[in-house]
Amino acid sequence: MSERPGVVAAGTAQGPTASAGTDALPGGTADTLVSRDRSWLPLLRQLAGIILAGLVLAAWLLSAELTATEQITLNPASLLVYTGEHLALTLLAAAIVLVVAVPLGILLTRRPFRRVAGPVLAVVNLGQSAPAIGLVVLLAAWLGFGFRTAVVALVVYALLPVLRNTMVGIGQVDPRLVEAGRGMGMSAAAVLLRVELPLAVPIMLAGIRTALVLLVGTAALSTFINGGGLGILITTGVNLNLSRVLIAGAVIVALLALLVDWVGRVVELLARPKGLA
Amino acid sequence: MSDNIPATASTDPASVITGASILLDQVSKRYPGQAKAAVDGLTMEIPAGKIVMLVGPSGCGKTTTLKMINRLIEPTEGRIVLDGDDVTGINGDDLRRRIGYVIQAGGLFPHMTVATNIAIVPKMLGWSKDRVAARVDELLELVSLDPAQYRDRFPRELSGGQQQRVGVARALAADPPVLLMDEPFGAVDPITRVRLQDELISIQKELQKTIVCVTHDFDEAVKLGDWIAIFTEGAQLVQYDTPERILAEPANEFVENFIGAGAGLKQLTLTRVNEVELQSAVTASPGDLSSDVLSRLDQQGHDHAVIIDGRNRPLQWLSRRQLARLERIGSTRDPRLPVVGERATLNDALDIMLVSSVGAALVTGGRDSFRGVVDVETIMVAMSQAHARARTSHAEGKPVGINTGALTALDGPHDGTAPLRSADRGAGGE
Amino acid sequence: MIEYVSSRFGQILFASWQHFSLVVQSLILATVLAVVIAALVYRSPALTAVANSVSATGLTIPGFALVGLLIPLFGFGVAPAVIVVVFFAVLPILRNAVVGLTGIDGAVIESARGVGLSRFQTFRRVELPMAWPVILAGVRVSAQMVMGIAAITAYALGPGLGGFIFTGLARLGGANALESVATGIIAVIILAVVLDLLLVGLGRLTIPRGIRV
Repeated sequence: MSERPGVVAAGTAQGPTASAGTDALPGGTADTLVSRDRSWLPLLRQLAGIILAGLVLAAWLLSAELTATEQITLNPASLLVYTGEHLALTLLAAAIVLVVAVPLGILLTRRPFRRVAGPVLAVVNLGQSAPAIGLVVLLAAWLGFGFRTAVVALVVYALLPVLRNTMVGIGQVDPRLVEAGRGMGMSAAAVLLRVELPLAVPIMLAGIRTALVLLVGTAALSTFINGGGLGILITTGVNLNLSRVLIAGAVIVALLALLVDWVGRVVELLARPKGLA
Repeated sequence: MSDNIPATASTDPASVITGASILLDQVSKRYPGQAKAAVDGLTMEIPAGKIVMLVGPSGCGKTTTLKMINRLIEPTEGRIVLDGDDVTGINGDDLRRRIGYVIQAGGLFPHMTVATNIAIVPKMLGWSKDRVAARVDELLELVSLDPAQYRDRFPRELSGGQQQRVGVARALAADPPVLLMDEPFGAVDPITRVRLQDELISIQKELQKTIVCVTHDFDEAVKLGDWIAIFTEGAQLVQYDTPERILAEPANEFVENFIGAGAGLKQLTLTRVNEVELQSAVTASPGDLSSDVLSRLDQQGHDHAVIIDGRNRPLQWLSRRQLARLERIGSTRDPRLPVVGERATLNDALDIMLVSSVGAALVTGGRDSFRGVVDVETIMVAMSQAHARARTSHAEGKPVGINTGALTALDGPHDGTAPLRSADRGAGGE
Repeated sequence: MIEYVSSRFGQILFASWQHFSLVVQSLILATVLAVVIAALVYRSPALTAVANSVSATGLTIPGFALVGLLIPLFGFGVAPAVIVVVFFAVLPILRNAVVGLTGIDGAVIESARGVGLSRFQTFRRVELPMAWPVILAGVRVSAQMVMGIAAITAYALGPGLGGFIFTGLARLGGANALESVATGIIAVIILAVVLDLLLVGLGRLTIPRGIRV
């Protein structure tokens, strides 16, 4: 569910830019959705849209006559708490994903491990086609309810795009450049650090952004296992039949996802090595 | 490509040679799971300060051979000797820092500026910032790029030819004695390629590195190479010789086919106009009486007179009929005058002769001064002489400073008969 | 686990079928929608940009949030499930269709018009077949994604395998809870793999041999 969108984003580019794909798995290419448009204008528009939508939501909530329960759930202080929890889930999981997936992705592109890269991706891919809600519940059954379990589920979920894009990003580096580097006497480590990784950065960042968006969406599910976050607004809204709470929750989660996506795009724009088209 | 007499190849005044000799000593490369060796017992000497071209059909092992010199590909057997030192066992990265490496399209790192690209090896060697910066500018000038203009550009802001030049500059950055080039001009258009080849020749004249260059283009090999090594499958060295001798005396049918049609025409590219004996000509100056000139033509049995100015530069080339129509000779310059510089190849001269109405061309030397006339006959004579020379030097068995194939022939047991055969052919001597 | 599955085999099969049918029908609808929209926008750079940003933004919206949003509007049941699944299914196909159609060499189209094909004939007989592999790749991505999204629509009491997961959640700690969740997950994965294979087969049948990779 929530995560799926992100992954999709990843896979979609498959057709057009099939050359970037290294694995022949179902839908299995990297997020080559690296933003081609390098101007700031679309980014400004995206930010303006998010802010506008946020203002509309706020105006709507302020103008509506809220019931007592709605007021309790939707007061700014508790909204802030839920948002904070949501971000904590997202960022913690993202940090763990980075620490695990990037080195693993690098490792799997090194010669001794290249053979297992295919099988590893296949397994991760298969895991990706499991529904996120199922994974969350399953892990809760095993590890118990709570924040920690939610983080674990999120990590498992967001691993794929980062791992895959790290591998594809490094894999798409022109092998002749690697050879040129080695031919000049750069060590394998120097070639990795100074040639392969910088050139993989755009695709890796796109994967990280995909993962973050995925995490924001999936973190909404952690409410089912008492993991906190904004999902509680949605479940409360449904359970108590409070449409406004439900809508507010859904919109805030969506806006948060868009905002995270925006931040990701800004970082991509700034961190893209100069000299790349 | 200046010396076409093998004897001079080795005895060249070596004062400026900065290159180092390379020896591949019974080198083999086998890949696991492949029955045939990619390179099979190859022994090859590459003389210092020379350009050696490795040519052959694709998959013949020439690139593998090249990459074994800097050990990008580790040989399975055999030794690599650089400037007398066995480098087979030393740290590969250290070795490669001492050897320049140029690949197709330059292989520039797209995320680094031109200057950063060039500075990679010097920085790894721990040069000071100032020294690196100075070296970058020096190299850019060497490859005819204005440092101020190109230093801070990114590769994608350069044309293909410019990228390739930066690639060469980068390879030369730490002043390595040896330059390895893998199809360096394969990715640029024909016109740029010719220009880059000419530049490489002039850079080489200045630097005298040892250059080993892989190409699939035999014409390029003829143009650039002091020596050409022709390989067939398994890096079997079929012939290793000067371009002249390969053209005059191909070792076997394979080489003949590889040279392709027009060996004679290719040979024309090997001789320069100043290396042949020019025909003399009747000369005259503006203001002379036509009748005087005509009578001089009669005396010497010529049909044309060359009009030269005060600084001995040719202005016009007049036939008897044209002279008969004039009283005095004018001082205008004929823009369509068939002129060829004495450094041009016979091929260029022939080209100009064919379109000139006279069927010959005027040869000029320094400051465009008139040297003589080259005509088809001159070229025919020069060609047959070159042919004869190539044949005799071949017969004398003087492939100095080279050789090939498997010394296994001497050592005995090592490898099968194939390399042995190639040794025979390659050496051309028994 | 085996006991759980065998005792409810019919129920699992039925839910799987519902799930599969929801996804496939939505995919067909989504493909038609996406191709039509792409056909309308791909000639105009401005509209193409709008379509691309809509698909990019749409994919950012969490599925669970959209399910939540639709409950007040459409109530519980099949309607919100179909809407959510179609919505997400359209996006990747749309983007690929736009990329596929705009990526065709202009010379090919020109020569098609040159031999006298009408604009519509050119689209139907030249452009669409040439873009089809790319579109189909989008369908595969959609299929994989939507399999999971269909599971969460069970929260709005939609049909399919999501029910097993939410049932398990409700009874967590009780009997058969884990089995129920695992059944839901595994069945979804199996369906995803089966559907993907079917789509690969479809590609074999429908992609002209000349442009098959």
